[in-house]
Amino acid sequence: MEEIIRLFPNGLQASIQKKIAGRWNELQEIRCRLNRPIEIILNSANEWCTAITLTKQDFTYMVNQLSEFSLYRMEDELREGYITIEGGHRIGIAGKVNTIQGIVKAIQYITFLNIRVAKEKVGCADKLMSYIFQGDYLNTLFVGAPQTGKTTLLRDTARQIATGWKQITAKKVGIVDERSEIAGSIKGVPQHNVGNRTDVMDACPKAEGMMMMIRSMSPEVLVVDEIGSQKDVQALLEAINAGVIIISTIHGNSLEELRKRPSLYQLFDQHVFQRFILLDRKLDPGQINTVYNEYGEIISKVMEDRPHAMDWGTSSRHDKHMGRI
Amino acid sequence: MQWIGALLLVMTSTWVGFDWSNKLSNRPKHIRQVKNALQILEAEILYSQLPLHEAFSVIASQIPSPTSKFFDYLYEELQHDKRDLFYVWEQAIEVLTKYSSIGSNEQEILKQFGRTLGQHDFHQQQKHIQLTLSHLERELEEARDHHLKYGKMAKSLGVLCGLFVVLLLL
Repeated sequence: MEEIIRLFPNGLQASIQKKIAGRWNELQEIRCRLNRPIEIILNSANEWCTAITLTKQDFTYMVNQLSEFSLYRMEDELREGYITIEGGHRIGIAGKVNTIQGIVKAIQYITFLNIRVAKEKVGCADKLMSYIFQGDYLNTLFVGAPQTGKTTLLRDTARQIATGWKQITAKKVGIVDERSEIAGSIKGVPQHNVGNRTDVMDACPKAEGMMMMIRSMSPEVLVVDEIGSQKDVQALLEAINAGVIIISTIHGNSLEELRKRPSLYQLFDQHVFQRFILLDRKLDPGQINTVYNEYGEIISKVMEDRPHAMDWGTSSRHDKHMGRI
Repeated sequence: MQWIGALLLVMTSTWVGFDWSNKLSNRPKHIRQVKNALQILEAEILYSQLPLHEAFSVIASQIPSPTSKFFDYLYEELQHDKRDLFYVWEQAIEVLTKYSSIGSNEQEILKQFGRTLGQHDFHQQQKHIQLTLSHLERELEEARDHHLKYGKMAKSLGVLCGLFVVLLLL
């Protein structure tokens, strides 16, 4: 976690290290606010570094570290509001926004930083693979609120598809990574393991990126993060009709909620996605709550106390059923 | 014995005079180099969008010594010490002063510029570079004037001073 700690001024590094004290695995976010103590968010709780109050100098230092002393290079990042650093971690930024004719130009006074620790959990999609594969991969949508581990699962799914798992051979995967979250690329080089047969189009608008990928890299599976707008949906439909399998994520708490969103109407109407994987905030990040098929029927549901209530047909949760698909 | 001493004295004062005149003629040259370097920096920032330490290494390879030493130093220092750009910048100005003939005004201008470097967006960064360039232009004018005015005088003054002291002592 050297790449995160080095962002902080020398004087603060030790006390932050001490506060986290080897709990890097549980760490989700470090939140910095001007003239306030640092907040540390772990999987189960949030804590405050009351010993540290961040001053303006500290912020200048951190911003300089983020930009390599070259703030002018961060025009896009300051407009989008986040920066990806080595290791695929993301720094969200907020503060005073400058606008030109009502359009956000840049964040000028940076007074809030949110360091989101990238969790590359290789193998976290193991359980899930058998749900989304039936002879061929199925169009899949991960549904969940922020912080439920959608992107982590998506990344590992991409890795497994592109590397192959069990007897299933690897497929060509194209990732359109609009927010540099899936592969966490820096200068086009993925910082996370996204598999052997994966190509990444970094920081590219999804709608255009999907078509670019299909034209240029001939992917068999296309992985995109956080669809939502009408344009995304249009591009998605186009891609699916071009014979590409789509795996994507979306913000939402339940399938019913998504059905009500007008921009997604077409997706549900045409039963574009054959698998919906619902992630729940109440569970640990990355824990799958429910898997639905294209008609919104539940194929599998997590029931901690009664594991035998599982639908064996599509489940691989039990050892003796491993690899039967 | 006396004559050897007298000769040494004249030689020393001549050398001092030549050194002074050299400084006067080098100053505009070095200011021009710094100006060129800043122009390259502007291009690297605006068009290549390189981060500063990479821009420094590009400049160092394109500019003659001693200004290249300044950028080389910045590049080397920023490679392994990423703590404070302004601190490194100040140190580098000292290196530059050691190896070149730039005056205290130019040092101050560069120091002010160092404070703004990398803290602004493209537009403002460009403005700061332009401002620094115009300041340097002013200094360049002055340095050129000084050179024309005192360049020759410095040389002859050195020799004559030597001779004068020798005559006094003989």
